[in-house]
Amino acid sequence: MSAVRTVARQPVAKAALAALALVALLAVFGGRLAPLDPLAQDTAHILQGPGGAHLLGTDYLGRDVLSRLLAGTGLSVVAAVEAVGAAMLLGVLPGIASVRFAPALTWVSLRAVDALMTLPFTLFAIAAVGVLGNGLHQAMLALGVLLAPLFFRVTRAAALGLDRAQYVEAAELMGAGRLHILRIHVWRKVLPTVAVTTAHALATSLLTVASLTFLGIGVQPPAPTWGGMLASDLGFLAQQPWAPALPAALIMFTVGALNLLADAVRDADPADHPADQAPDQAPDGTASGQGAGTPDRSTDAPKEKADARRHAHA
Amino acid sequence: MSTAALPAATAPPAPPPTGRVTAGRFARRAARAPRSAGRVLAGTVSVFLLSSLLTFALGAVSDANPAAAVLGETATPADIARLDHEFGLDRPLPVQFGSWLAHALGGDLGRSWFTTVPVSDSIAAALPVDLSIAGLALLFAVLFGSAAGIGAALSNGGRLDRAVTAVCTVLGTLPAFVLAIGLITVVAVQLRLLPSGGYVPFGQNPSQWLRFATLPALALSLDAAAGIARQLRTSLVGALRENYATGAVMRGLSRRRVLFGHVLRNAAGPAVTVLGMSVPMLIGGAVVTERIFNLPGIAQLSLRAAEQHDVPVIQGTLLVTVAVVLVANLAVDAGLLALNPAARKASSAGAGQR
Amino acid sequence: MPAATPTPERPALTVDGLHVTVGRGRTEAVRDVSFTVRAGEAVGLVGESGSGKTLTCRSVLGLLAPGVAVSAGRISLGDTALTGLDERAWQQVRGSRLGAVFQDPGSYLNPSLTVGRQLAEPLRTRHRLSRTEARRRAVELFASVGLRDPETVHDRYPHELSGGMLQRVLIAIAVSGEPELLVADEATTALDTVVQAEVLDLLDRLRAERGLALLLVTHDLAVVAEVSDRLLVFYAGEIVEDGPTAEVVAAPAHPYTEALLRVASLGDRGRRELAVIPGRPPEPGTAGPGCRFAPRCAYATDVCSAGPVALAPVAPAPVPGDHRRAVRCLRAAELALQGAATPDRTEVPA
Repeated sequence: MSAVRTVARQPVAKAALAALALVALLAVFGGRLAPLDPLAQDTAHILQGPGGAHLLGTDYLGRDVLSRLLAGTGLSVVAAVEAVGAAMLLGVLPGIASVRFAPALTWVSLRAVDALMTLPFTLFAIAAVGVLGNGLHQAMLALGVLLAPLFFRVTRAAALGLDRAQYVEAAELMGAGRLHILRIHVWRKVLPTVAVTTAHALATSLLTVASLTFLGIGVQPPAPTWGGMLASDLGFLAQQPWAPALPAALIMFTVGALNLLADAVRDADPADHPADQAPDQAPDGTASGQGAGTPDRSTDAPKEKADARRHAHA
Repeated sequence: MSTAALPAATAPPAPPPTGRVTAGRFARRAARAPRSAGRVLAGTVSVFLLSSLLTFALGAVSDANPAAAVLGETATPADIARLDHEFGLDRPLPVQFGSWLAHALGGDLGRSWFTTVPVSDSIAAALPVDLSIAGLALLFAVLFGSAAGIGAALSNGGRLDRAVTAVCTVLGTLPAFVLAIGLITVVAVQLRLLPSGGYVPFGQNPSQWLRFATLPALALSLDAAAGIARQLRTSLVGALRENYATGAVMRGLSRRRVLFGHVLRNAAGPAVTVLGMSVPMLIGGAVVTERIFNLPGIAQLSLRAAEQHDVPVIQGTLLVTVAVVLVANLAVDAGLLALNPAARKASSAGAGQR
Repeated sequence: MPAATPTPERPALTVDGLHVTVGRGRTEAVRDVSFTVRAGEAVGLVGESGSGKTLTCRSVLGLLAPGVAVSAGRISLGDTALTGLDERAWQQVRGSRLGAVFQDPGSYLNPSLTVGRQLAEPLRTRHRLSRTEARRRAVELFASVGLRDPETVHDRYPHELSGGMLQRVLIAIAVSGEPELLVADEATTALDTVVQAEVLDLLDRLRAERGLALLLVTHDLAVVAEVSDRLLVFYAGEIVEDGPTAEVVAAPAHPYTEALLRVASLGDRGRRELAVIPGRPPEPGTAGPGCRFAPRCAYATDVCSAGPVALAPVAPAPVPGDHRRAVRCLRAAELALQGAATPDRTEVPA
């Protein structure tokens, strides 16, 4: 697909993809790469600084910080992926199908989307865990439900646009089957949007997983997670003020890479790319007149972005 | 009563009298005008109903049983049935939902299964903590965000502009709790300027409240501030290029007056929207912030309830949170309406026709 | 006619050797433009878009976009040098000594404030008028620019007024500070013919009543021919012809003016735009050493492209030493160019 190739050619996207590949490797093999047992306590060497036997030091129970970071990646990343997978399942197909919904059903589905979007993630996940039992799967399912509107909206918007696009009609006239049109035309156009949303949603759910594990939700205490490490470091800020920086940096690294990738995909797709704010100044100064058109986009685009931002941080 | 006014209130703004150019311009303007009061209310009510249904459903699908939970392993079936009846859990679900919602709207959110304290009482005790801190955070966000956004727009392309953009980008990837930990490390632990946790109610001692509330509010606000700054910068730079800004300059008005009297008012809309979006964000972030700063807020209440599977408390906190978010959204819509006289006139004219 | 009134010692506006550059490459978009506008005189700047007329006018107003700058020359409003003014000094000039109206007047008004309030704002902040005084003055001004029911107009928002009414509002705002110079930048371009004529009448009346110096910028020769005393024809950043409107229209000295007249076809609006000048003006900075119009000119010879052509008095001068007409064409003396039927309003001999 050309869009993928265009994206992969951008240096920013390349760096972001490389960073994400690294995180993915850590997620899969992190536990095995760990130099020491992430659970082994060494009470003789608690709260040690970096260096020596423990490359990044030890925590309050004398456990190796590097090993815990490496081993913790898997749980955090897998959980985030699980939530986004659930969200896609719940959002994308209804989003495409909603183009053919009856008006009443459309109205209800859009209100339901609004309703889901007013619920704060962490609180809802806590509630879900509270009633469904303490487990990361329950929390991630709840998160998936709340992230689904994001996918529902973008796929619906894309599908609506396509529904009225002339080339789809032309393909229909030429006798292409509905399924063929859906597969070839719709997916090619919808995919970039879905990719942007996926990246944002992954960033969001990583942050939410970090929050939840920080609060001790979804994991049993000794198992290492990024959020859990932050929580335990919090008690020893006086002794090790730099300790929270390590898991925090790993979170920011991953989230930042996802955001950059999303921006790169958005910029590569001309259809989805809002025109540049700065109009070229024509020698005659006429650009000031044409510039009047740009603010409209600038009021719509932020809304979309703010949507994503709310999801990225709630 | 408000439903009767709906059709009129949603009437589009009156078309401009003549002139092709103006007609085009203002058709566009009307399209981005804020939603009319009637639609906003209808949307809010339906969203609240759906969220409450979802909240209730969460309790309904749970296999947590108060009787089993409260009475423990030794409970006899008769005991459980008696308690079920006491909590109203033996009635059909729609009936339960109806009565739960009716009571909730009346301010009665039931009683905790464990402490039997009315849920509304617990929330009434916890909510002011969140509201006061969120309020302070909003204030910080607006102050820092608009100052940075206006400064960046004025220095468009300059050093300040680039600095603001860089800081905002970094803040965008920092979750509130990482910020909170950073602030505690620097301000509370290293500099010992402010306490690292705890809370004193505002009514009890405002200055002490401020000491305890400043750090959590700051941690919560920075992300929203970055959003506001970015948005305000974008729309200000756009608006300063607009002809009406040139028109104001040509009237001989000072730069300051053009900015604050004309441009800011028209450019503030998207920033207000971002501010509104940040309210659920603040509340979402509050859960972790409360834990970090050890604040007796609504998220701590919910967290404790979740550990005990105390369904009424969980439902109550969720419902109240949704209500807070919806009220904030209404406030944002009201703000947008106040900023845009075209829409305001249209909706009041619509109401007048009734 | 202004020519009959005693010439003031100093013109209201003096533009002397103005050069304007654009972008980082400092491409010259306006080259060596000089002219004056006296009190009570109306001067029209005509040319295609990109000819430098708008940049010249924006330089006068101090409204050049970022990246566009006056690189040489002087602009003076009466005794005040406008080139190199700081922001505060510009505030003193704009809105009081200098007024301006533009194309698409509605966009130059703040959509969220009533037009009356926008007119009253400088009156209140700068002339320290009270609220009631400012309102009375605003209504008076609205009435003086021919707005019917000025009391009602005062409390209208821009989107509630028509294009013609908005232009009158903008004119009222522009003259509220009793300016010496009023700049009208394509002020009638988007209006329909009837409203256009009304607005031109209004500008003409204000000039006569208030002794305003009027600088009209337009691509439409028909517009300037109706109101201006003097015509400056711009091509590719240079003035190619300068002279009294009636004379220039009746007997153009530059082939480009002749072509423009054919395009405008004064007096016969139906035929407008039928005759199109072949080719395009050179992009700024790409012009050759010679006459910039030569590649499109029907009369061009090899000499034309060889070296720079100066803006020279039209020879032979009707009266010795009369420099009222100038042209940038080597062959001006030998060509017999065709003018247009003189429009009604400029029949008065200059």
